[in-house]
Amino acid sequence: MKLIELYLEEIRHQLPPRNRDDILREIRSTLMDMVEDRNPNPGESPDEAIVKAVLKDFGPPREVASQYGPQNYLVGPRMFPIYIKVLRIVLIVIAALNILGLIVAIVSRSGYDAGLLDAILQVVGGLFGSLFTAFGIVTLSFAAIERTTPEDWKVKVDQAWQPEDLLKQEDKERVKIAEMAIEIILSLVFIALMNFFLDRIGIYYLGETGWVSAPLLNENFLRYIPWITAYSILDIALDLYLIRMGFWNKYATIAKLLINAFKIAVTFVIITGPAIITIDATAWQTLNLGLDSTPQTLSNLLNTILDVLMGLSIFGLVVDSIKRLYIEFIKGSHASIEFDAK
Amino acid sequence: MKDDTLQTQTQSLVQELRRGVIVLAVLSQLHGEQYGYSLMKVLEDQGMQIDQGTLYPLLRRLEEQELLESDWRMETSRPRRYYVLSKFGEKVLHEMTTEWSRIKTTVDELLANEKENENETH
Repeated sequence: MKLIELYLEEIRHQLPPRNRDDILREIRSTLMDMVEDRNPNPGESPDEAIVKAVLKDFGPPREVASQYGPQNYLVGPRMFPIYIKVLRIVLIVIAALNILGLIVAIVSRSGYDAGLLDAILQVVGGLFGSLFTAFGIVTLSFAAIERTTPEDWKVKVDQAWQPEDLLKQEDKERVKIAEMAIEIILSLVFIALMNFFLDRIGIYYLGETGWVSAPLLNENFLRYIPWITAYSILDIALDLYLIRMGFWNKYATIAKLLINAFKIAVTFVIITGPAIITIDATAWQTLNLGLDSTPQTLSNLLNTILDVLMGLSIFGLVVDSIKRLYIEFIKGSHASIEFDAK
Repeated sequence: MKDDTLQTQTQSLVQELRRGVIVLAVLSQLHGEQYGYSLMKVLEDQGMQIDQGTLYPLLRRLEEQELLESDWRMETSRPRRYYVLSKFGEKVLHEMTTEWSRIKTTVDELLANEKENENETH
């Protein structure tokens, strides 16, 4: 009977926790019934060969366990095609960026003192590194969607589908998955940059101990980081939703408008708030570009330029919002009136 | 070679066909109480072979769907889980039986037509 206990233990590891003990109890009881049924000498303890035959008939533990409980997917069959599509796009984008990097490196010959072969190897190595990171991020994002979307919601989306939707969709903007994927990747890079590598955005100069970077953004900027991170995450969430749906709809448009409003508000606060760029005096001296300006005046200049750029981005956001509003509510409603008239 | 593929094809298709009627077969035998192994025996004796790996999880699913009721009982040497149709299960079985006769008649007629055609061409 030791074999039966080992067998049950093996199944236990692979069962979902819900009802685990009860399921095992039932399997044990059944196995005992089978053994008893096949035992030619009832009352006596059964031959090991019989127990083995029973277990063999009952099947491999993994197979038995898999019959209980729903299949668990990291990325389910519903989302799998999109997942693969996004991975493919990520692959192409990252490969392109790395090749671009290689070309720049070869042309400028900077940073690569060693030969061309080394440069190529470095790029290939970098490619693999960034690919794994990117694939990991994409997979985790999809797994998160898989986990957080309730099963009945998925069913509801399917049930809500009507043939008329095809006509409505004709006039709606199809979501460009490549665009979304690139936006997601850029947002992730941006979030990482803001939260973990902010000090890398700076002036690089050769100090006494090697390359030193003096951060450009000062402590005034730090307080905006949570807000910037928040809207980047919202951007990603919306992009993922759009990839899922395939088309812009009313909710996505409203979400986009809200996110844009949020971005405008944050940008406005940054513009009107204190200066966020400070040029480090030591760095500036060491760099010695021969320009006739003090770090102070240059900082002011950069802050002004940044303010102008941010002002332009507010303008861009407003234009984008109007465009979305127009496509969703004006162009769309016109199309549906036309359809009703027919 | 050709016979081999014919046989494996047929086998997998028959299995699919069988899978569709397993629920009906199981419910039909649960007017009285049965535990897993005894139910399998009963079905087997009447010519309905069911894979063990399919039967026990199926019983649980049917219970979750409230078609069956079950309880553990200590009998003889070991506890056994007995299953029986619930009131709801009885109604469902009744509906399914009607539906099954409809399907059976339709398919029988289709197959009969097929046989006539076959006889004509030969």
